[in-house]
Amino acid sequence: ELIKGQGRGCLLKEIHLNVTDLGLGYRTKEELIFRYCSGPCYDSETNYDKILNNLTQNKKLGKESPSQTCCRPIAFDDDLSFLDDSLEYHTLKKHSAKKCACV
Amino acid sequence: PALARENNCLNAAKACNLNDTCKKYRSAYISPCTSRVSTAEVCNKRKCHKALRQFFDKVPARHSYGMLYCSCPPGDQSACSERRRQTIVPACSYEDKEKPNCLALQVSCKSNYICRSRLADFFSNCQPEPRSLSGCLKESYADCLLSYSGLIGTVMTPNYLRSPKISVSPFCDCSNSGNSKEDCERFTEFFTDNACLRNAIQAFGNGTDVSVWHSAPV
Repeated sequence: ELIKGQGRGCLLKEIHLNVTDLGLGYRTKEELIFRYCSGPCYDSETNYDKILNNLTQNKKLGKESPSQTCCRPIAFDDDLSFLDDSLEYHTLKKHSAKKCACV
Repeated sequence: PALARENNCLNAAKACNLNDTCKKYRSAYISPCTSRVSTAEVCNKRKCHKALRQFFDKVPARHSYGMLYCSCPPGDQSACSERRRQTIVPACSYEDKEKPNCLALQVSCKSNYICRSRLADFFSNCQPEPRSLSGCLKESYADCLLSYSGLIGTVMTPNYLRSPKISVSPFCDCSNSGNSKEDCERFTEFFTDNACLRNAIQAFGNGTDVSVWHSAPV
């Protein structure tokens, strides 16, 4: 059953990566499963979103274009620790999604 | 140049982070074991030990033993062995400002009920017996490995020594033993030069002992 506002297309996906693929500057040979949220959010649009859409199209807001509904994490995965090449430990927090929703 | 060899300890760490349970409990001990709490203390040792005990309690042996008992090429003193030594975050869980006498450490272990019972299990399950094929009096490598890993997170926390062959010890020595020097050396040799424990660790590392999977925590 879909949680209200979740959106049918917005899903949790995962990919197996090297820690170095994250581009955070660590030198290590360790790996991880990175989970992310992806997919469209048309289903969960509110009147607010429809109004914003109309106002931007009719250029009533000038040059502004406020953000639309987005498929984003609403909970994060557990922390990840790894040992780097100089034998130092690092712990990443809030690096990977656990639950997604259109927000 | 030497051939690039498989680093079993690195492979075990990779496998751990790809498993949700192992990943969770690994970072749950690495965090407290690497967080500085004050200018004087590198970490909260009590929290580090507790989280280490949880890791070995909750994580399937396939993963926890995989990291603790991974095998390294003989004579390897770098990538593989150093990673194995780092498994328990020795800077926090093992090393201390002063190295106590081993018999004094044993007395302090006996004043704690977890440590007392785990040390007794270790002495009973890793008792060497030169006449048996396994090298152990109780011919179960699984029981010996379980009781050795049970010491991790107590004041008797053992770790690998930087030595060409597999040798482990708690953080203590036999200086200032007085007339108990022999007793003290008997105690340390049960860790550093124990054929039963060494065979058990090697059999796990080489994957030659299948029985471990059945009796270890799942």
